[in-house]
Amino acid sequence: MKGHYEKIGTILILLLPLLFVFRGGYLQEVTGYVYLFLIQGYVAWFLFFKSGQPFFGYSVTMAIGAYGTIVLTVIFGWPLLASMLIGAVFAPVVGVILFLATIRARGFYVSMASFLLAILFPKLINALQDITGGRSGLYFSGITAFIGYKTLYILVIISTALVAGLFLWIMGTKTGKILTLISENDRLTQAVGINTLKYKIIAYTIAGFISGFGGALYVNYTGFISSIDIEVFTTLYIFFIPLIGGSSVFYGPVLGALFVILMPELLVPVERYFRIFFGLIFIVVIVMLPEGLAPNIQRLLTKIRLKRD
Amino acid sequence: MSEPILKVSNLSTWYGRISALKAINFYANDDEIVGIVGPNGAGKTTLLESIAGSLNIKEGQINFLGHQIERWTVLKRRRLGLMLIPQEENIFPLMSVKKNVEVSVILSNRAEKEELIDYVYELFPILWDRRKQIANTLSGGQQKMLAVGIGIASNARVMLIDEPSIGLAPKLVTKLFETLKKIKEDTKKTIVLSEQNIKVLNIADRLFGLEAGEIRFDEKKENLSRDAVKDLYLGSIS
Amino acid sequence: MLLNGIITGLIMGGILSLPVLGVAVIYGITGIPNFGIGVIGVFGGFVTWYFMSFNMVIAILIGIVVCFIIGYIVQRILLTPISERGGEATLFFIITVSVGFVVEGCMRAIFPRPNISIELPRIGTINLAGVTVAGFKIIALLFALVTLVIIRLLEEHTEIGKSWQATSQNLKLAKLIGIKTTQIFNIASGVGCALACIGAIFWGSLYNLQLSSGWDLGFMGFIIAVVGGIGNIWGGIISALMMGMVMSFSGYLIGGEWQSVILYFIVILVLIIAPKGILGSERSL
Repeated sequence: MKGHYEKIGTILILLLPLLFVFRGGYLQEVTGYVYLFLIQGYVAWFLFFKSGQPFFGYSVTMAIGAYGTIVLTVIFGWPLLASMLIGAVFAPVVGVILFLATIRARGFYVSMASFLLAILFPKLINALQDITGGRSGLYFSGITAFIGYKTLYILVIISTALVAGLFLWIMGTKTGKILTLISENDRLTQAVGINTLKYKIIAYTIAGFISGFGGALYVNYTGFISSIDIEVFTTLYIFFIPLIGGSSVFYGPVLGALFVILMPELLVPVERYFRIFFGLIFIVVIVMLPEGLAPNIQRLLTKIRLKRD
Repeated sequence: MSEPILKVSNLSTWYGRISALKAINFYANDDEIVGIVGPNGAGKTTLLESIAGSLNIKEGQINFLGHQIERWTVLKRRRLGLMLIPQEENIFPLMSVKKNVEVSVILSNRAEKEELIDYVYELFPILWDRRKQIANTLSGGQQKMLAVGIGIASNARVMLIDEPSIGLAPKLVTKLFETLKKIKEDTKKTIVLSEQNIKVLNIADRLFGLEAGEIRFDEKKENLSRDAVKDLYLGSIS
Repeated sequence: MLLNGIITGLIMGGILSLPVLGVAVIYGITGIPNFGIGVIGVFGGFVTWYFMSFNMVIAILIGIVVCFIIGYIVQRILLTPISERGGEATLFFIITVSVGFVVEGCMRAIFPRPNISIELPRIGTINLAGVTVAGFKIIALLFALVTLVIIRLLEEHTEIGKSWQATSQNLKLAKLIGIKTTQIFNIASGVGCALACIGAIFWGSLYNLQLSSGWDLGFMGFIIAVVGGIGNIWGGIISALMMGMVMSFSGYLIGGEWQSVILYFIVILVLIIAPKGILGSERSL
C-alpha cells in the first residue's frame, strides 16, 4: 500500500509547480528546465535502470526531437505540430536501429555505440550546419506564438506528470513486468520462452518516442538550440538524473533532476572547476551509493526516527 | 604426531541463503595425501577454493604454517606455499605448453626453475613432446596433465587439486593418481585432492567425507571401509 | 594525389594507432574498457606543451610520466577494487568516462589556453615516390610500429611479458601461481595512458590539441580498437592504418566534418558483421 501512496504522491507533487504559473520569473523558468530534463531522466530510468538496456544516447533522442521540430518548422516550413510529431517518431527509430545493429555484440557495445553516437551527433549537426545552424544554432518562436508562455509552462508540467505516470503505469503492466525480468536476468527470461527481443524493441521505442517528444517540448520552451546544447555532457547529465536520484524508488529521478539542474547554479562560484566536481561526484555516487540518493535519504530518515524513539 | 600444516576450523560459507559449507573442520599434515570425497554438490570445490582464497568465507579460521590466512589474498597464500589447481580453466589457453610451464615457475629462483621444469617433463613426457603446441589444442587428458604440471612447477608446499580425474578415461585416471603419489614421495609435499572417484582410495593416506556441506567422516585409510565410502555416495549415511 | 592520400592516411593511422594500442593493452590485460585514456593522454600533451620552452626531451618525458602515473593511480585506487567486487563492462565504461571528465576539468582549470600546438623540430622532408613528406611525419608512423614490435618482443621473450600474457589469459590461475596481478594491472593502465599521451603529443605537433580533443582521440582510438578487436594489438594497428586511410580520403572527397561520421558508420557496420573485430578475436595480446 505504501508503494501506492508514494507513487500517487509523486505525481501530485509533480503537479505543484502549476501554482507558480501565476508568479512567473526565474523560479518558473528553472522549474521548466528541471521538468524538461526530468522527462529525459525518466526515460533513462525506464530504459536503463528498469529495463536493463545499457543505452547512453539520450541526448541524441532528445536532440532528434528538438532538431526535427525546429528544422522542419524553420527551414522547411512545415506545420509545427507535424514537425514535433516527426521528430518524436524519428527518435525511437534511431534508438532501435542502434540496438539492432549492436545486438550480436555484447551488451557493452550497445553502451559504447550509443555513447559514441552522443559524441558524434553534435559533430553531425555541425557538419550539416547549413540546415541546422551548427554552433550558432537556430531560433524560433515555436508554440509560444500560438499559446503563450504561461500555457506552455502548464503544458510542460502536465506533460512531465503524464510521462511519469505513463512509465509508472507501464511498469505495472505485463510488458513492464517482463522488462523487469529482462533487466534482472536476460538469459533466464529467454530460456523461459519469452521473446525478449520483442520487448526490448518495445522498450527502446517507447523510450525513444518520449525522449523525442521531450526534446520537441524543450526546443519550444527555449526557443533556441545549437550543437553546444547537446554535447556529450548532456547525455551524462540525463543519465545522472536517475543515477544519483535513486533508480529503485519512483521519486528518485525527481531528486536527481533537482540535483542536476540546481547544482550548477550552486557551483557558480567555482565554475572553472565544475567538471571536476561533476565527474568526482559521479564516481563517488557510482562507487559508494549505487542506489542513488533517494534510498539512502530514506534510510537516513529512518535512522533518525529510530534514534528519537 | 606433529601439528598439521594446514588446519581449517569451523569454516562456514554460504551463497545468499544457500548454505555451502557448515562448520567444517579439516586438516592436512606434512608429507601426506588427503582425499576429500563426496558426491556432486557436496561442497568440495567450495572448500578448496575457500582454502586457496579464490572464495571469501563467511566464518571460520584457516591456519597454514602457523599463520591465520583466512583474510589473506590468493597471492599471499601462494607465497606462503599454498596452491590450488582448479577443476576448470586451469591452463593458459593461448600459450604453448612450454610457456605455460615456464610462467609457472615464477616464484622460484634460477636453479630451482631448471629443476622444476625438468621434473614436470619427467613426470609427463607427453608434455615434452608437445611442448610447442598451444595449450587449448591439447586433448582433455593432456590439459589435465598440463594443469598438474603447472601446479608442480609452481612448487607450492601444499597442492590442492580439485577433482583431477574428471573427464579422464579410467586408464588415465590410474596413471594420474600414480603420478600424484610419485610426486608426494619425491617431494614430500602435501596434496589435498577432492574427488568423486573411488580410486582415490588407492593413493590417499587419509580421507575426509563431505556431503551437503558437512564433514561425514575423517579417517585414516586403513580404518576406513570401502563400504563407508560407497554409502556416502549412495546416500545411506544421513 | 592518390599517393598523397595513402601516405597521409598511413601517417594518420600510425599516430592514431598509439591511443588504439593504449586501449588494446589496457583491455587486453585488465579486461577494462577505459574510455578516459584519450583525455588523460591529451592532458599529458598539455603538460608537455607547458614545459616545451624549457627543454623538449624533458617536456615529453614529463608528459609521458604524468600520464603513466595518472593511469596507474586510477587503476589502483578505483578500477581494481571495483573489478574485485565484480564490475562489469558497462559500469567501467561509466566510471572511466567520469574519470575523463575529472581530468578534463583539471585541464580546463590548470591550462589557460584552450588550443595549443606542440612544436617538435622539423627534421626536413623526404621524397617518397614523388611525394614530399615531412620527415617528421614518417617518424610518427615508425614510432607506432616500433612500439608494437617492442611490445610483442617483450611479451614473448621476457619473464615479465609472459606474466602479462598469463594474466590476460587466465586471471585466476595467474594469481594462483603467484603472479602479482594487481601490479600488472596498474602498470598496464599506466602504459596504456602513456601510449595515449605519445599519440596526443604527435597529434598535437601535426595538427593541434584542444581541450576537447581528449574525447575525440579517445573516441577514435576506441572505435578503431573495436574494429580491430578490442584487445587485439595486431588488429588495432591494422585497423588504425585502414581507418587512417578512410579518414584521409574522406577528408579529400567529402570534407572534414564528415570524417567522424563515416568512421562511426564503419564501426557500426563492423559490429554488425563481425562483432569481434576484423581479425576475429578480441583479447589476445
